[in-house]
Amino acid sequence: MVWAWLIPVISFAVVPLIILFGKRLPGKGSPLAILAILAGFAIFWVVFAGFLSAGPETEGCDIGVGTKVLTCNFQITWFEAGIPGADTSGFDRIEIAWGITIDPLTVSMLGLATFVALMVQIYSLGYMHGDPRMDWYYAFHALFIASMLTLVLADNFLLLYVAWELVGLCSYLLIGFWHERPEPREAAKKAFIVTRIGDVGLLVGILLLWSHVGSFSMSETFAAVAGGELSDGVVTASALLLFLGAMGKSAQFPFHVWLPDAMEGPTPVSALIHAATMVAAGVYLVARAFPIFSASDTAMLVVATVGLITALGAATIALVATDLKRILAYSTISHLGLMMLSLGAAGYTAAIFHLLAHGFAKALLFLGAGSVMHSTEELDVRKMGGLRKVMPVTAILFSIGALSLGGIPILAGFWSKDEILIAVNNHLNPVFIVLTLLTAFLSALYMARAMFIVFYGRFAEQFEHVHDAPPTMSITMGLLAVFAVLFGLVALNWPGAFDGIGYFIIYEKGHGLEFVIWLAAVSTVLAIGAFIYGYLAYARKSVNLEGARRKFAWPLKVAEGKYYVDELYQWTIDRVVMSLSRFVAWVDRALVNDVGINGPGDVTRGLGEKLKYHVTGYVYSYVLVMALGLVGLAIFWWLVSR
Amino acid sequence: MSTENLTANLYLLTPEFVLAGFALLVFVLDLFMPDERKDLLGWLSVLGLIGIAILSIAMLVGVDESLYNGLLAVDEYALFFKVFFIGIGVFIILSSIDYVRQHLNHPGEFYGLLLFSILGMNLMAMSRELLTAYISLELLSFSLYVMVAYALGSPRSNEASLKYIIVGSVSSAILLYGISMVYSTLGVTRFGDISEELKAATDVSPALWAGLALIVAGLGFKLAAVPFHMWAPDVYEGAPLPVTAYLAIASKAAAFALVIRLLAEAFVPVADRWDQWQIILVVLAALSMLVGNLVALAQRNLKRLMAYSSVGHVGYILAGVAVLSTDSLLGANGVIFYLVGYSVTSMVVFAALIAFFNATGQEEIADLAGLADRQPFLAMAIAIGLFSLSGLPIFVGFTMKFYLFTAVANEGFLWVAGLAILTSLISLYYYLQVIRQMYIQPALAASNEGDDHGSHVDAEDEAGGSGDNEDDHTHTPAHHDPASDYVALPRPSAALIAVVFLGLVATVGLGVYPAPLLELVESASAAVMQGG
Repeated sequence: MVWAWLIPVISFAVVPLIILFGKRLPGKGSPLAILAILAGFAIFWVVFAGFLSAGPETEGCDIGVGTKVLTCNFQITWFEAGIPGADTSGFDRIEIAWGITIDPLTVSMLGLATFVALMVQIYSLGYMHGDPRMDWYYAFHALFIASMLTLVLADNFLLLYVAWELVGLCSYLLIGFWHERPEPREAAKKAFIVTRIGDVGLLVGILLLWSHVGSFSMSETFAAVAGGELSDGVVTASALLLFLGAMGKSAQFPFHVWLPDAMEGPTPVSALIHAATMVAAGVYLVARAFPIFSASDTAMLVVATVGLITALGAATIALVATDLKRILAYSTISHLGLMMLSLGAAGYTAAIFHLLAHGFAKALLFLGAGSVMHSTEELDVRKMGGLRKVMPVTAILFSIGALSLGGIPILAGFWSKDEILIAVNNHLNPVFIVLTLLTAFLSALYMARAMFIVFYGRFAEQFEHVHDAPPTMSITMGLLAVFAVLFGLVALNWPGAFDGIGYFIIYEKGHGLEFVIWLAAVSTVLAIGAFIYGYLAYARKSVNLEGARRKFAWPLKVAEGKYYVDELYQWTIDRVVMSLSRFVAWVDRALVNDVGINGPGDVTRGLGEKLKYHVTGYVYSYVLVMALGLVGLAIFWWLVSR
Repeated sequence: MSTENLTANLYLLTPEFVLAGFALLVFVLDLFMPDERKDLLGWLSVLGLIGIAILSIAMLVGVDESLYNGLLAVDEYALFFKVFFIGIGVFIILSSIDYVRQHLNHPGEFYGLLLFSILGMNLMAMSRELLTAYISLELLSFSLYVMVAYALGSPRSNEASLKYIIVGSVSSAILLYGISMVYSTLGVTRFGDISEELKAATDVSPALWAGLALIVAGLGFKLAAVPFHMWAPDVYEGAPLPVTAYLAIASKAAAFALVIRLLAEAFVPVADRWDQWQIILVVLAALSMLVGNLVALAQRNLKRLMAYSSVGHVGYILAGVAVLSTDSLLGANGVIFYLVGYSVTSMVVFAALIAFFNATGQEEIADLAGLADRQPFLAMAIAIGLFSLSGLPIFVGFTMKFYLFTAVANEGFLWVAGLAILTSLISLYYYLQVIRQMYIQPALAASNEGDDHGSHVDAEDEAGGSGDNEDDHTHTPAHHDPASDYVALPRPSAALIAVVFLGLVATVGLGVYPAPLLELVESASAAVMQGG
């Protein structure tokens, strides 16, 4: 199990190799990245098996303080600083460890991340074929996934923060991968800056915790929180600050604006970002720091509320968006909101379960969208139709993903969504459950819309000569589809083998599969109803949408305008931020640069120019200076010793 | 003290005997080796050194003994430095094989001398008696005098060697005079005995201060600490490039190995005298930091730049030496770790510069213009090396400065630590000037290349008849097509690439994860600070 550290390290190791030698390697180094993640995936299974067979008596393993589940920690000292010999629990000395922690949450994330990354990288072989910068693409990919794996393995907040920032950097690099065009550049900047705002919150939160606990270690921090060593105010404040980081990364309202624009990156990158790396990091952080969140009712309510607003708002935008990838993007935002909502409703298991189920389905959908885009070079759903005629494999696989995500029974998405509904129903105000059900309905509806418009209905003639995806692309999509269909089965109790995910990914206590019959019935009716309506409206076109459009013209316009959040931000930046910036720039130019920097700089350089003449080139002057120095030294010594 | 004591554990010196015999063997083989196969001697020396390092480790781990009635120590500290010096030797030889073939006349002797100087350095790390230390030092110095003069045809090399010998002899005389004055006042020369005498003495004659000042001045010359540094730029500039690297890295580290043991065994234990020492050392350190880094700002030649920058680094290390203490290993750890980090990083820079010189025959900062286009790997190596030297993370330069400055600040010398950080900032400026040349300035037209230093022929040999280089004579800048305004440099030899690459790996590796090396360093510093 201790070898888990190798999973990210192998991928890290190939990054410089690909950068340095990629041009000369076969496939521009892409096999190297794929082999690295394949090795990671293989090691994941070893770690998984080791973890399943481990118990509290296994070396390095223990029952976690806050989480009450089996947690294994392995660490080596990275560096120490401060006064040697002092107590590390105080502030005189800190010891920073490279440490990994392995618990059910980590294992699940490792599995999801390595599997999706492996699929995406193989898929990219076909998708990025012939790109002149394929080596850089794969180097960034390897770095991206290595950072994410480090993030989920980290046993202290400092290492987590380092990985967190690396994930942000890699998403910037990959979103802006085609930086020759202006849109990807802008999108990359937007993603970086918006998530940056959240990152500051995360950093402050980590430092706040450190200043009260005296350690970056997660287990020590959680123990301190559980032991009541921190005041309620500190717990709430740090939870909210951590959540700020999670909101940025997981694209929660009002930080959601970067994710739809991030579609400018290559589509496989979107799949990775949406399913396994970037946005999953925020949900992971809240789940990882759940002992802190669950200690504060305020924080939990904030998480749930932000989650619900995000889920509902994004679902409505997804319903009216016309760009296939943007529909999927808003769908991701909506589902991330559902996960946050679930965490806020103490539905820890449900949130992680949904993260996994959604990850498989969403990766599948994006790869499907990538396949469509790859062959049609078109993303506007209004121009598409009946594509199943020319790309049947993609059509079937995409439909499976859509049905799974829409929550059609026995597919993976159904089980996880049901768990979320139960958690919300049990722990929150009735308003929440009504709105959550509405979100669930909308999410089935927009998936139905995307699927039926693009692949069914009347065939769009201009795509006559379009071909289906090459094998590298369709095989990976097929594998993901298997998971999107069958993954829900892990929720069930398998007598003798596995008690269900409710006893594996748990917080404080496990529980079997809960099944509230009326909720399941309502959500099933809503989902199936949505798909039937979608079929009638978008494939058969037997529902007159124009009437509805006219009737709801005003709310439609608002939703199509994405609630004008972007415009509001732009206005704020133009009016408030820019005028402040101009003032700061003036201070910087006039005072800081001209006086503060150039002044001492000129003096220093001048000193250097003057001083250099003390070395004359004549040996006798050297010896003279030595002699004078010697005499001076002796006199000085004599003075000191008196 | 019976005579048995003198020879009973003589076998502990096996690595030194083997090294001496091996050096002689190289000299002898040189006589029979045909000229075109002299490279083999370099490779042989590398193999021999690696063998000796393995032998030393196998024999001496955990040994803590004294030889010849307390003249030489065989302990973890000596072993650490032995392996360290041998490692430097290996890298220096690997990076100089091409240079030696192209520019120097007597390759066999070059390698033999190098081996003898390593022997001298090993003995310096082992000596615990003033005269033994002096003789070891001279063994190193004399090898270096010859090596500096090695480019027989080059007047600058000869001038440098002459200056080095003259100033070196003066400093030797000063050192010897100091030793004799210490002996005349205290009556002993072994480090341990000196500390005993000082502890017992109630009142010591002023001649002792004079003697100590003389010793400090003599060793200060070896370290090139201000005000005994003035030879360094001239000698560094004139010496053949691999020898410059060797001077900057190895001879400096060896002098510090000697100084640390001298201070740790003779003076640190005497608390009230050590306070005075600290002030002296801190002042020397501050002077070195200031002068070295300020004057480096005004340099145009790469070797001179490295010389002044190394004076600055000596300042930092001296500040660390000033906070050696019997209570805490922090200072000793910091100093030794700094020595290793500095050597590794300098090795990267020098090896890359040697590769650059082999290809072009140039060594001015301005000549590096456009190197990022002409030979990106070398440019990257130099850039990383310089970033590391200036103390930026994630490189070892940051880690080593962090540890050393922490130790200095922890001992109460906050102003020195502050000055060290400030001068590191200054150093970033002149390092960045070099990096700017490589990455931002466009490459100079190829036509003036290689004419300056009489090595044009060699540069062409190295190019292996690539068409570009032969055009050098006919092209004038006006005829150049702007798109192909620069000439890609020929690839450096595999040995050089290996040295640069390993150095880079170490520079980043030790910067990110220093813990294993720190454990070794700690065992070495524990041996010298608390043992013996």
